[in-house]
Amino acid sequence: MLRLSGLSVSYGGLRALEDVSLEVNEGEFVAIVGPNGAGKTTLLKAISGSVRVGGGRLEYRGRDLIPFPSHQRAALGIAHVPEGRRIFPSLTVLENLELGSYRRAARGRRAETLDSVMALFPVLRERRGQAAGSLSGGEQQMLALGRGLMATPELLLLDEPSQGLAPRVVEQIFETIDRIRRASNLTILLVEQRVVEALELCDRGYVLETGRVALAGTQSALLADPRVQRAYLGA
Amino acid sequence: MTRDRGWLGIAAVGVIGLVLSLALTEHYHHRILTLVFLWATMGLAWNIISGYAGQISFGHQAFFGIGAYVTVLLAAKLHLTPWLGMLGGAGIAVLAALLIGTPTFRLAGIYFGLATLAYPLIFRILMDFLGYQEVAIPMVRDHPVRFMQFEEPRTFDLLALALLAATLVLSRLIETSRLGYSLRAIKENEQAAEAMGVDAFRCKMAAYALSAAPAALAGAIYAHAILFVVTPDGVFGVIAIVQTLTVCLVGGVGTLWGPVIGAAIMIPISEILDATAGDRFPGIQGVVYGATLMAIMMWAPEGLFWRLRRRPAGVARTAPAVHSPADPAPLPPVAPGPVVLDVRGISKTFIGLQALADVSFDVREGEVLGIIGPNGAGKTTLFNVLNGFLLPDRGEVRWLDAPLTGRPPHVVCRRGIGRTFQVVRFFPHLTVLENVLVGAFAHGAAPAAAREHARAALARVGLAGQADTLPAGLTTLELRLMELARCLATSPRLVLLDEPLAGLSADGVELMAAMIRRTRAAGVTVVIIEHTIQALVKLADRLVVLDHGRRLAEGAPGEVTRNPAVIEAYLGKRWLARHGPGHAAPLRP
Repeated sequence: MLRLSGLSVSYGGLRALEDVSLEVNEGEFVAIVGPNGAGKTTLLKAISGSVRVGGGRLEYRGRDLIPFPSHQRAALGIAHVPEGRRIFPSLTVLENLELGSYRRAARGRRAETLDSVMALFPVLRERRGQAAGSLSGGEQQMLALGRGLMATPELLLLDEPSQGLAPRVVEQIFETIDRIRRASNLTILLVEQRVVEALELCDRGYVLETGRVALAGTQSALLADPRVQRAYLGA
Repeated sequence: MTRDRGWLGIAAVGVIGLVLSLALTEHYHHRILTLVFLWATMGLAWNIISGYAGQISFGHQAFFGIGAYVTVLLAAKLHLTPWLGMLGGAGIAVLAALLIGTPTFRLAGIYFGLATLAYPLIFRILMDFLGYQEVAIPMVRDHPVRFMQFEEPRTFDLLALALLAATLVLSRLIETSRLGYSLRAIKENEQAAEAMGVDAFRCKMAAYALSAAPAALAGAIYAHAILFVVTPDGVFGVIAIVQTLTVCLVGGVGTLWGPVIGAAIMIPISEILDATAGDRFPGIQGVVYGATLMAIMMWAPEGLFWRLRRRPAGVARTAPAVHSPADPAPLPPVAPGPVVLDVRGISKTFIGLQALADVSFDVREGEVLGIIGPNGAGKTTLFNVLNGFLLPDRGEVRWLDAPLTGRPPHVVCRRGIGRTFQVVRFFPHLTVLENVLVGAFAHGAAPAAAREHARAALARVGLAGQADTLPAGLTTLELRLMELARCLATSPRLVLLDEPLAGLSADGVELMAAMIRRTRAAGVTVVIIEHTIQALVKLADRLVVLDHGRRLAEGAPGEVTRNPAVIEAYLGKRWLARHGPGHAAPLRP
């Protein structure tokens, strides 16, 4: 479904990604883990189109994605739930969700999708009229997830959904992601710093280290591999 | 070379002004010439605080009006000659600037500009209240010269030209002085300037006071040459600030030539339109003037001067990229010196978030101490507390056995603690050398000596070849080296380096690490923040690990990376449960 080959991205003189190749098959859940500064966020941004690709190939359903601007990539069914949530704090929960279904294919089914998102996150139904900025961190993360789902995406890109949240809330978020995954046959690409949590959810994973793919493998192989630790601690 | 060109330019303005004044014969043309000189002077005055220092003032006519009112009132009430009266006006304007600046410079950015709007309004109301709605210049027929009452219209434009020349000289002196570089650094990045030892508040106050005096003198001459009857609206009104802003924006901000160019073009256009087209098509002068203004601003949004000047090419350069100077001989292991920096129980909370919780450690002279931790661990907050950007809620920092907590950043810098930033904070419109020069001025050196010092610091990091380029043309590695040089130019005993290796290629990391070792070899103690441990393992003598604002561990690098608490912080409890700490290492909390 998604294939990256030899992808590189730089900001100014700074190489953020170098020669990254990976693929995500339809219906698969793939996790990308690695320490901070490894280029995980940049990778998702390159896929959703908010940073310019410096070299390499990026294909989605056999089609070259690079010439498409980011809003057209969203129209193709790629939803990006960004790091730090980026909800619209002064709009209500409901308005935030409605904005999620902006893409044409999603607009027709808005009421239906809204129902299923509310079913997935009962707390959002309770707070639908409240300003999104007044939600707690965990609720905001759920709203961001819900907003991503409102686009009825085919590929969901999740950037560090656990960031800045208390451990108990993190568990809840990961449980929800697992439920989303079971409820639909959505394809998910998750970026996370929390190694075990992310790897336990996914089918396959990649370990990114300073802009390169250091390791790749199935869930169980990576979970057992002591080299993952080296990517984080260097020893 | 450029120095001489600056003075030559001022001389040229003087000669051209003189020639025009002598060549023109009509009364009306002299009036235009006088206005060109006066508004150019006002523009230059505004440019000192708003152009160089970037503190946009929308109320600069306050000083213009003070100059006019004080001079005329002294003549009318006390029969004092305006030659002295205008000096009194300038003095009072400077005093007013200091009074106004003290509260107003506590506001940043646009809020400062908005606050300055209020002052001319206050003075207008005050003049109305005191009954000075109209103050006529008293006619003194027996002493016309003493009371600035000239029959010959040429005299006024010569007087205004003299003031313009003096203001140009003042601007030129500021531009090339320590104050000038400090102001430009404040404009481009106030925090970085503070961290380089610049006392931003005092510099801004100095610039504000210096910019009030020429404005007041221009107001006094304007009253005698043009107005004859001083009214609140005439000198404190909107017209005065609009003319000032127009000549600056058209000509260019942040250079002494901008206001001169702007005034030379816009003032004659507006006057001639008023006199010629205004009679036949009432209102047309406003339309033409506005259209001219818009056309110029669209073609040259930064002003004509910057549009026409060939900027130093930041990108094209002939010198090769950074070359590493030969590495010094391998260093003997450093014997831990005495404690220089003592951090005790620092806590800092932001709204609901405990960024630092009771963090204590010490730094010994001559060591390289690494501070590591996952993102959000509080590392940068710690540096911000150490260099004075933030005040801790609790705890104490001691430097060389004296308290350092609560000292502002420029004082911390002058006491010998330099710092760099996670994202390089450079001054984009200053050349590489000038960037470093701001640091070199930290101890108040004379410009020539500071320049030598800055050149030496650049040579130390291998950037001598890039001295005259703009930072925009540098690579990430070169920018970081430049920032290191700027920090070293402040002659620190200890440097705080915030992620100096982030985003560098493998070669870049090697080079930067060599520079850091060399810095230490030169006797400077080094504290480095990194979130990746790998790079620091080889560089640091000792590591302190922070996680969620707490000190998690401390010890030699090899020891720390096997510490279960550290593994848990980086990879999670569940990873630790699966894999264990590897080779067990003694825990040193």
